[in-house]
Amino acid sequence: MHIKKSMGERAFDVFNTMLMMLLMIVTLYPFLHVFFASISDPTAVVQHRGLLLHPIGFTTGAYKLVFKNPMIPIGYRNTLIYVLVGTAINIFMTTLGAYGLSRKNVYFKNHIMFLITFTMFFSGGLIPTYLLVRDLGMTDTRWALLIPNAISAYNLIIMRTSFEGVPVSLEESAKLDGANDFTVLFRIILPLSMPVVAVMVLFYGVGHWNSWFNAMIYLRDRQLFPLQLVLREILISNSTDTMIAGSAGLDREPIGETVKYATIIVATVPILFIYPFLQKYFVKGVMIGAIKE
Amino acid sequence: MIGISKRWLAMGLVLVLAICLLTACTQSEKPPAATDVTGGGNTGDTGATEETSSSEPEALTLPIVSQPITLKYFWTLDAKAAASMTSYDEVACFKKMEELTGINIEWIHPPTGQEKEQFNLMVASQELPDLIHWDWSTVPGGVSKLISDGSILKLNDLINKYAPNFTKLMEEHPDWHKEAILDDGSYYYFPFIREDESLRLSSGFQMRGDWLEKLNLEIPKNIDEWHSVLTAFKQGDPNGNGQADELPFVAIGQSRVQYFEYAYGIMHNFYRDPDTRKIKYGPMESAYKDYLTTMRQWYKERLIDPDYAATDTKNFDAKVTGNKGGSYYGMLSGNMGRFLDLMKSKDPSFKLVGVPWPVGPAGKSYGPMAINAIQPVGTAISAQSKYQKEAVKWLDYCYSEEGKMLFNFGIENESYKMVNGEPVYTDAVLHNPDGLAVSDALIRYAMAVSNGPFVQDKRYYPQILVYPEQKQTLDTWLKSCDPSLQMPPITLTEEESQRFATIMNEINTYVQEMFDKFVMGQEPLDNFDNYINTLKGMGIEEAINIEQAALDRFNARK
Amino acid sequence: MADLARGTDTQITIPTTSRWDIIRKDLVKNRYIYIMLLPVITYYIVFHYVPLYGAQIAFKNFTPSKGIWGSPWVGFKYFEEFFNSYYFERLLRNTVLISLYDLIFGFPAPIILALLLNEIKSNIFKRTVQTVTYLPHFISLVVICGMIIDFLARDGLVNNILNRFGIESIPFMIKPEWFRTIYVASNIWQGIGWGSIIYLAALSNIDPQLYEAATIDGAGRFRQVLHVTLPGILPTVVIMLILRLGQMLNVGSEKILLLYNTSTYETADVISTFVYRKGILEASYSYSTAIGLFNSVINFALLVIANFISRKATETSLW
Repeated sequence: MHIKKSMGERAFDVFNTMLMMLLMIVTLYPFLHVFFASISDPTAVVQHRGLLLHPIGFTTGAYKLVFKNPMIPIGYRNTLIYVLVGTAINIFMTTLGAYGLSRKNVYFKNHIMFLITFTMFFSGGLIPTYLLVRDLGMTDTRWALLIPNAISAYNLIIMRTSFEGVPVSLEESAKLDGANDFTVLFRIILPLSMPVVAVMVLFYGVGHWNSWFNAMIYLRDRQLFPLQLVLREILISNSTDTMIAGSAGLDREPIGETVKYATIIVATVPILFIYPFLQKYFVKGVMIGAIKE
Repeated sequence: MIGISKRWLAMGLVLVLAICLLTACTQSEKPPAATDVTGGGNTGDTGATEETSSSEPEALTLPIVSQPITLKYFWTLDAKAAASMTSYDEVACFKKMEELTGINIEWIHPPTGQEKEQFNLMVASQELPDLIHWDWSTVPGGVSKLISDGSILKLNDLINKYAPNFTKLMEEHPDWHKEAILDDGSYYYFPFIREDESLRLSSGFQMRGDWLEKLNLEIPKNIDEWHSVLTAFKQGDPNGNGQADELPFVAIGQSRVQYFEYAYGIMHNFYRDPDTRKIKYGPMESAYKDYLTTMRQWYKERLIDPDYAATDTKNFDAKVTGNKGGSYYGMLSGNMGRFLDLMKSKDPSFKLVGVPWPVGPAGKSYGPMAINAIQPVGTAISAQSKYQKEAVKWLDYCYSEEGKMLFNFGIENESYKMVNGEPVYTDAVLHNPDGLAVSDALIRYAMAVSNGPFVQDKRYYPQILVYPEQKQTLDTWLKSCDPSLQMPPITLTEEESQRFATIMNEINTYVQEMFDKFVMGQEPLDNFDNYINTLKGMGIEEAINIEQAALDRFNARK
Repeated sequence: MADLARGTDTQITIPTTSRWDIIRKDLVKNRYIYIMLLPVITYYIVFHYVPLYGAQIAFKNFTPSKGIWGSPWVGFKYFEEFFNSYYFERLLRNTVLISLYDLIFGFPAPIILALLLNEIKSNIFKRTVQTVTYLPHFISLVVICGMIIDFLARDGLVNNILNRFGIESIPFMIKPEWFRTIYVASNIWQGIGWGSIIYLAALSNIDPQLYEAATIDGAGRFRQVLHVTLPGILPTVVIMLILRLGQMLNVGSEKILLLYNTSTYETADVISTFVYRKGILEASYSYSTAIGLFNSVINFALLVIANFISRKATETSLW
């Protein structure tokens, strides 16, 4: 790899680096904006227009207010459970499906694939699903957030596509040595597919972290509410523009603008740390290492 | 061969059974209405419906039950309460209710923002708690269907027998009675009642008082005076920065510009014509053209924020607090209270005044003050409840004199004191030691600041307004507001409401788009007749007829 | 019954022509695979196919208290209502155009980002870029849209810059002709980093030996990208494209509701926002289900066609 770079390549490198820097500035900004606003003086935030490049004034009042809410610790605890247990179930089920559907010469493979894809487009809607979950006795239990969305067809397809990319020769030689499909999956395919497993952990994990809709439908016991539902309530119930003429009941002073931003920070920062941990799986040459083992 | 077919038969039966178990059987199973009752002698669902002899209501005696029972109560947790509580268990007035009645409430609070889904699922799955607190005007297909389907109870008999306080109120106020029933005369809920007009208006025009002073102007009282004040704001540089960057009238979207329509004797919706008492639709009246002409001129003269259509709440707040916006239409607490709060330390000269409802070509200062005391939100009782009688008694207590004090002011000597015979909130509410805002603190004791099955007391509202400007403003608005364009709460039938929604979704879209085009000058006003014709083509007349029929049915209520 | 059994018995003797025979062999040979698939299939039957009966409410006048089975049939009433709407053509046009622009500009963007990231030699820099670019995905739409409206206001950031170059302010947010650009560009802004993750994973699966071989063959970086990198991620790209084509009519309401206003309805009003506004007047499950079904049929048809073409052209397909 120590070939002298041509002028063109060097120019490209410079251009590429500049472009990436620019992209970073543009994409980092929203997060910084939210962060700065959350620790700024509330009045200043309301008055402010345009770029926010540093906090205006400094106060942690908004965070104090958010953490005063008695539901926040409950929400954190529940979300942690949903993310950990939910993602584990997702990965297990998706892996099983993706393996079977990625093998060649499985007679019903395409039928099953078609029927699974079909469900991405056609569903019975909210009410029959709710009745089903209720009849299975899952409403108002944690299972309602873990089982009914055990597999995402979209993620299953991504994983399957990746499994298909593993050279067939590896599987064939293992089978000649008497390995069955379980062995092939856990000894060959999975170790070679760590990048896609990392992607799945990220997609499912973030999905669980951000989800509130199922919780809203299936849970009545507030002790089981995930964080996002709690925060959503804080944001929605305090939006200012719910004006209906003549109804004094709706008139109330909304929470400060800064609380909105603090809420977002509280809801976002923990899940951001998942990515750096998974990133190491996205480096080149994973496959080679695995084969040499 | 017989053996094989028997096996198939058996398998088939098992399958059918399994499907039955999964789907049908669970639907027939009635969820227990209350859980922890152990053989209470005075409970049971038979008493309520069988004793039909006496017509005199049974006097309310406390406690309602000698053995404690538990009722389930579906009620959206108010945002103000959510700031410091997870359930209404913690609200003092509900605690007191349990003490008094012996009835324990198990609260079901659906998540804020998606209550509708929860309500519909509750009805669809027929898992109804004993008591349901809801805005009944939002039920698709109307409430009468819920009664005929056996979801909620028709309450006439129960009220006759067990609700002396509620009955008395309805007898004293025949207009309340008329608003509380359905077209066929059925009572179906215990409504939230706003007893006084002063509780039914909380928004209006507001203006920078210090700008008026600076430019030596009076508060405008009619459309012409509005025009000169706005022009002066534009030209007189009241914010003193040497630039004509003032936005004399700012708004969040077009709806807040449309409150000027009242001055032209119309509303931006269906309304009842004060002379003919017939339904009309504002955006197709000829007065609407006059109104558009004025707004077009104001827009051209830059008296209205040119970006009103694209202004969101955040930008609106920035314009007002950033010394650019001179006047706007807004809420008493949500806007005025908030702006005063934000500015009191930043800019002591910042002042807001309430502007009376302007008199325009129509010659009267019409406004959006609701004419109905009975609110669509209130509590109904599930037809599945085992404790219908007890539920009615519990609700009836809320309408008694003591109940009214409890729900409006909370606990005496705790949240309020009697001063010269009038209830006055204590510092626990007005200057909460935990630093809660006034309304957030009040809801820890009483529900006046939210809603519920009780009569809202007019003495509560002025007390929770923090700034004297707010009290003055409320006064100004109330004195000037003529509510005679307003409609009573009419009820559409199921077919009517579906048809109405279909027609009006298109019409609303069209009217909204054309409003901007007329005002911003993209469409000549000569096209107003074409515009009317398009509205007619979309079926506006049918929609008016639907509303008229519903109004006629309301008028015929007894 | 016995005749039938005997019938299959006799068929078995005919070699390799029987479908049942192939299936039986397949079930035996791939028994472990089918055991693995069993929980997956059960899941899909229970949670996706059992509730499917609910779709009938598109053809019924559904009210919650009557239930799905008890509500009366109305046939194609809601479909007709939608097709006959004054705004039907405009809604369809806006939906397809926004989706199409998003496909043309939004779909390649994360792929290009992944390829450019792949060319960065410094690992720390690469990781930093990755981590930073995926951040906007986590900021709530309300805040993102609030920023967009603020920056693009008449006296906002963008116009301030334009003014400096002597260009007069453009009221972007009330000009219908700008709406699609704003929508698509901000989609890229918010989604490029998150979207590139899947391609980064695909890139890391490419065997480095292929690059070494290409280098020995004297291929420059550009040709390596063309002959090694692109073919390596092609299956992923194709699958993502097929899935994306199956979303042609799905333009979500949430972001448009936050960005549009009465002045930009002309280009911004899409099917989902129209249905949303009708829901404010009267929430009709049947109507929204009918529209949803219409969308799904078109989307699914597009996906099936795309899948068919792809199977013929690239050998990559869903089935």
